[in-house]
Amino acid sequence: MQLQLFLLLAAALFCIGIYGLINSRNAVRVLMSIELMLNAVNLNLMAFSNYLDPQTVKGQVFTTFVIAIAAAEAAVGLAIVLAIYRNRDTVDMEQFNLLKW
Amino acid sequence: MTSFFAETFWLIPCYPLVGMLLTLPWSPGIIRRTGPRPAGYVNLLTTFLALLHGTFAFPAVWQQPPHYLEISWLQVAGLHLTIPLEVSALTIGATTLVTGMNFLAQIYAVGYLEMDWGWARFFALLALFEAGMCSLILCNSLFFSYMLLEILTLGTYLLVGFWLNQSLVVTGARDAFLTKRVGDLFLLMGVLALYPLAGTWDFNELAQWAETAELQPVTATLLGLALIAGPMGKCAQFPLHLWLDEAMEGPIPSTILRNSVVVATGAWVLIRLEPVLALSPVVLITMIAIGSVTAIGGALISMAQIDIKRSLSYTVSTYMGLIFIAVGTGHTGAALLLILSHALAQGLLIMSTGSIVLNSITQDLTQLGGLWSRRPISGICYLVGMAGLIGLPPLGGFWALLKLADGLWTSHPWLLSVLLLVNGLTAFSMMREFGLIFAGQPKQMTERSPENFWLVTLPMMVLMGFALHLPLILQSLSLLPSWATLNKDVALLLLWSSLAGCGIGAIVYVGQMIPKPIQLPWRQLQNFFAYDLYTPTLYRSSIVFSVDWASRITDWFDRFIIDGVVNLVGLASLFSGEALKYGNTGQSQFYILTIALGSVAIAIAMSWSFISSLFLTFTGH
Repeated sequence: MQLQLFLLLAAALFCIGIYGLINSRNAVRVLMSIELMLNAVNLNLMAFSNYLDPQTVKGQVFTTFVIAIAAAEAAVGLAIVLAIYRNRDTVDMEQFNLLKW
Repeated sequence: MTSFFAETFWLIPCYPLVGMLLTLPWSPGIIRRTGPRPAGYVNLLTTFLALLHGTFAFPAVWQQPPHYLEISWLQVAGLHLTIPLEVSALTIGATTLVTGMNFLAQIYAVGYLEMDWGWARFFALLALFEAGMCSLILCNSLFFSYMLLEILTLGTYLLVGFWLNQSLVVTGARDAFLTKRVGDLFLLMGVLALYPLAGTWDFNELAQWAETAELQPVTATLLGLALIAGPMGKCAQFPLHLWLDEAMEGPIPSTILRNSVVVATGAWVLIRLEPVLALSPVVLITMIAIGSVTAIGGALISMAQIDIKRSLSYTVSTYMGLIFIAVGTGHTGAALLLILSHALAQGLLIMSTGSIVLNSITQDLTQLGGLWSRRPISGICYLVGMAGLIGLPPLGGFWALLKLADGLWTSHPWLLSVLLLVNGLTAFSMMREFGLIFAGQPKQMTERSPENFWLVTLPMMVLMGFALHLPLILQSLSLLPSWATLNKDVALLLLWSSLAGCGIGAIVYVGQMIPKPIQLPWRQLQNFFAYDLYTPTLYRSSIVFSVDWASRITDWFDRFIIDGVVNLVGLASLFSGEALKYGNTGQSQFYILTIALGSVAIAIAMSWSFISSLFLTFTGH
C-alpha cells in the first residue's frame, strides 16, 4: 500500500464527484456529489496524515473539521433546496436558469 | 496734368470696384422703399470717371516708353510676389476700350432693364467685370492675370445666372463656369510649371527669358499646351465653346460686354504669352489648328442658327479663332487690332439685335422680318456693325484682317485661304441675319415694332459713331498701313471674299426669290450645324459621362467598401456579443463546469514542464 494509490483513489472519487455535480439534474444528487468530493478531500488528508505526519496527525484533525462543516453545509444545502422547491415545485436543476442571457 | 493721370493710373480698376460696393445697398432686400435705379446711376458715374481718367492719361503715354509700377503683395520664404503694373499706350488704350464699352453697355442696360428689379446685382456684376478686366490689362504678371481670370470666371457664372429662376439659365451658368474653369485649371498647371523654369511671372521678363531659353521640346510643348488651354476656354474655342452658346441666356446688356470684351481677356493673356508659346512649334501649330477649326466651324454653325443671339455668339468664337491664328503665326499686332475692331463691331451688332429683341420679344429669326422701314436706326447700326466686323473697307475690321492677311501672305499662304473663307462665311451669316430680321414682309411677331426709346438707341448710335470713326482714329494714331506699303492683292482678295459673302447672303435672304425657311438637300448636315455639331451630346457622352460614372463608382466604393470595412468591425463585435451571450446559460452547473475546466486548464498550463518531462520518462527512458 502506497501513498500514491490513496491519492489516485481520492482523485478518482473527486472526479466522480465533479461529474455528478455537473451532470445531475436532481438538486439532491448535486448535494450528494458535493459530499463525494468532500470525502475525496478527507481521504487525501487522512492519507497524507498517515504517511507523512504520523506523529502529530494534523490531517486527522482537519478531517474532523471537514466532516463537521460538511454536515453543516448539507443541512444548509438541503434547506435551500427545500426553499426553492416550495417556490418552484421542482428540484430540476435545468429549471433554475433565471440568469439566462 | 496728364502725367498726373498717368501716374495714378492704377486707380482705374478702383473706380468700378467702388461702384460695385456702392451699388449693393440697392438690393431689394436692403433698401426696400426706393427701388433699384440709383444702383445703375452710381455705376454709370464711376464708369464715366474711369473712362475720363483713361482719356486724360492717354496723351501722356502716347509714344512714350511704358513705365512700370510694383505693389508688393506677399513675401514668404523664397517667394516674393509683387503685382507689376504696366502703364503704356497699349494698356491705357485697352482700358479705355473696356470702360467705354462698359459705359455704353450700362446706359443700354438702364434702358433695357427698365422692367427689372435686379439692378443692384446686375450693375454690381458689370462693375466687377469692368474692374477685373481693367486690372487684367494693367497687370503685367501671369500669376495675377490667372487670378483675375478666375475672378472673371466667377463673375461670368453670376452674370449668366442673373435670372436664376429660369432652368436654362441655371444650366447655362453651370456650363459657363465649369468649361472656363477647366481651361483655367490647365492654365494654372502651366503657370506653376513656368515658375521653376523661368523664375518669374512678369510678362516682360518671360519674354526676355524666352529669347534665350533652352527647354526640352517636350517640356516646352506641354507647357505651351497648358498655357493655351486657359485662353481656349475663355475665348470659347473648340472644343470648349459650348458655354458661350448657353451664356446667351443672360441679359443682353451683359452679352454686349461679354461678347465684345470679356472673351477677349483670354486673347489678351494669349498675346502677352506669345514669346513663351513660340518656344514650341507644336504649340503654335496647335493654336493655328484650334483657331482654324473654331473659325470655320463657328462661321458654319452661325449660319445655321435660328436664334438671333446664338448666331452672333458663334461669330464671336470665329473671331477669337482668328485671333488664335494670329497669335499662332506671331502676328500679335494684328491680333490686338482685331480685338479692337471686333469689340466695337460685335458690341454694335449685339446692341442692335438686343434693341430688336426688346420690343419684338422673340429671338427666333424665322419669326422676325420686314423691320427695315420701321427700324432704320437699328438696321443701319446692324449694317455698320457687320461692315466693321468683316473685311469691308474702309471700316476697322478690314484693316485688322488686312494686317493679319498680309502677314499670312508670305508665311502661311494656306491660312490665308482659311481667313478668306471665314470672312466670306461670316459675311454670309451676318447678311442672312440682316435679311431675316429687316428684309421681307413683317411677320406676326414684328407687325407692330416701334424703334426703342433713347436710352437704348443712344449708346447704340454712339457706338456706331465709334465704329465709323475707327479708321480715322487708327489713322491719327498712325496704325494704318500707308498706301504705298499696302498689299493690294491681299486687300482685293479680302474685299472680294466679303463682297461674295454679303452678295450671296443678300441674294438668298434679302431678295425674296427663294422661299424660306431654306432647307438644304442634306438635312443631316443642316441639323449638324444647327445643333452646334451636337456638342452637348458629345460632352455628355465623353467627359460628363466618364466623370459621372467615375464619381458614381467612387461613391459606391466609398459607401460599400470603405464604410463597409469599418462597419464590419462594428457588426462583428455586435454579432460576437450576441453570439457569446449564449455562454451565459443561466445554469449554475454549467458555470461550475466552466470553473472546473478552467482550473484543469490552468493546472495543465502551470505544470506543463512537469507533465512533459513525465511524458518523456514514460515513453523514452
